[in-house]
Amino acid sequence: MTYWISIVTEACIFSIMAQGLNVIWGWAGDFDLALYGYVALGVYLTIAMTTGPPSAPTEYILGWHLPYLVAVLLAVLIVLPIAAIVGAVALRNLREIYFAITTLGVISVLYVIVQIDTSLFNGFNGIAGLVTPMAGPLGLSYNNYKYFLLALCAVVLLIVVFALQRLSSSPYGRAMRSIRDNEEAAAAFGRNIFRSKLIAYVMGAGLAALGGSLFAAYLGAFNPSAWAPQEILTLYAAVLVGGRGNVRGVVAGTFIVYIGFIELTRYLPNVGGRTEFGPSVRQILIGAMIVLMLKYRPQGIFPDRHGVPRSARGGPGPPGAPGGGWRGRLALLAGRSNRGRPEESVSS
Amino acid sequence: MSASAILEVTALTKTFGGVKAVDDCTFKVPEGSVVGLIGPNGAGKSTTIDMVSGFGRPDQGSVRFDGEEVVNRPPHWISRLGLIRTFQAPREWGSLTVLDNVMLGMRAFGRESILRNLFARRSVRRGEDADRVRVEEILEQFNLAELRYDRAETLSGGQKRLVEFARVAAAEPRLVILDEPMGGVNPVLGERMSQAIKRFVSRGSTVVIVEHNMRFIEETCDEVVVMDLGHVIAQGPYRALRDDERVVSAYLGSAEDNV
Repeated sequence: MTYWISIVTEACIFSIMAQGLNVIWGWAGDFDLALYGYVALGVYLTIAMTTGPPSAPTEYILGWHLPYLVAVLLAVLIVLPIAAIVGAVALRNLREIYFAITTLGVISVLYVIVQIDTSLFNGFNGIAGLVTPMAGPLGLSYNNYKYFLLALCAVVLLIVVFALQRLSSSPYGRAMRSIRDNEEAAAAFGRNIFRSKLIAYVMGAGLAALGGSLFAAYLGAFNPSAWAPQEILTLYAAVLVGGRGNVRGVVAGTFIVYIGFIELTRYLPNVGGRTEFGPSVRQILIGAMIVLMLKYRPQGIFPDRHGVPRSARGGPGPPGAPGGGWRGRLALLAGRSNRGRPEESVSS
Repeated sequence: MSASAILEVTALTKTFGGVKAVDDCTFKVPEGSVVGLIGPNGAGKSTTIDMVSGFGRPDQGSVRFDGEEVVNRPPHWISRLGLIRTFQAPREWGSLTVLDNVMLGMRAFGRESILRNLFARRSVRRGEDADRVRVEEILEQFNLAELRYDRAETLSGGQKRLVEFARVAAAEPRLVILDEPMGGVNPVLGERMSQAIKRFVSRGSTVVIVEHNMRFIEETCDEVVVMDLGHVIAQGPYRALRDDERVVSAYLGSAEDNV
């Protein structure tokens, strides 16, 4: 039971981060690789602000003994301008692979700096000391705390999903998708591309930092081994599986990827006495799944169907015929539906 | 033409690596008219309209739209002044429905604000419903009503052209620049497009058409601007210019069958 609470809590946290990626990549269409850096900053800043000043040989900045929720808020507020600077540089003229390389450069530089400059967040050894935040004032015991943290993460996720779902189905979501689909045509019809992309980028980074702040409470300690730049791939896998652009689909995708793959590899033996065998197999499987999804179902399990009313979501048959709803999705999972295959849904 | 010029292009010049793609290009577009911008491939037509619409920056020269200098302004700024352009290949917003493509043509930018969509959804919905009435009318006009919930990427090439025209119709721009609207379009659809252009004019738009199909130009345009080697070599009614020596020789070099 404790195991399941822990794993669902983690999936909620990663869902929030994946929502950030979905805003940047799913809506604005920018293949950002720096996102996990904003997650890491969220974690570091939250821990560093809630703990007291460091004592030698540990070093880190801040150490303000702030209440957890204040630290969460401040961590997000600090990450926003950092992301705005990165976005302002990278989004001005760079697109696609050039944008991706630039953001990869950003997170690589950040990674090296945090690892080498021990005065920031204690270098490779990392920082610790955020133990069951808010447990004291709320009178929670160590045993009850895990329920509280799960509830907190789930509530934050629900609020995030509710707000993003509103945006997704709105004229804002429509305009963002037009920019993603064809930027020049969107500009020709008056949309300010740079501004829209920058706002989406900062919003996505803020969600990543928010996820990071919750992750801080979950982990209690953090160091560079926890945020290698390739961690972002799992978030991409989650968005891709769920359905790029689809808010609720991305939540489903995150749960499928995180819980599904962890469960799948959980009982693997430690081959050759190596404890990293299971996690490595997991990484390989996630990589393979990204490739397979891109090849066979790039729109994800729950494709984004912005602007298509429920009544028009059926397959090639008449509206109302099997195809929509959960039945259609089950059929689709079993490969028995034509939905989402453009060449077969053309009305002539 | 006695009407005042809505677009004035003066001494526009653009060099790509030593080649003058557009060289001292000067012409005017009278308000309320339909003007064809013609010339052989490589004459500089596309480069010119790119610069007019903000997608390219000239080395020299001026573009005045409705009296306002637009050189070095970004495309969305020029678009918001009321100048809409299309592109050679249809640029539909593929993942969006036909309906949404045309709704985006209505250009209700205020309704695309994040805060309004989070906290003032009712007023957003009211605006959407009002625009929807006009958009449905346009969809009927372009025979797209049946396809309204189809994603634009699933349409045929000709249908994508119609969506593009419908978007322009929704925008009701002061000036629309159509870049090769007849590319890959069959005669029946072509007829629909020339009707659409007449409707644009009747609703107060001025139209510039870049096109190689001379019959279409002859049928739809009040006058033509002929470009060759980056210059404007003639401007006037098509019939008057058809036998013009310079125009004929410019075309004979490259695209004889078009004249």
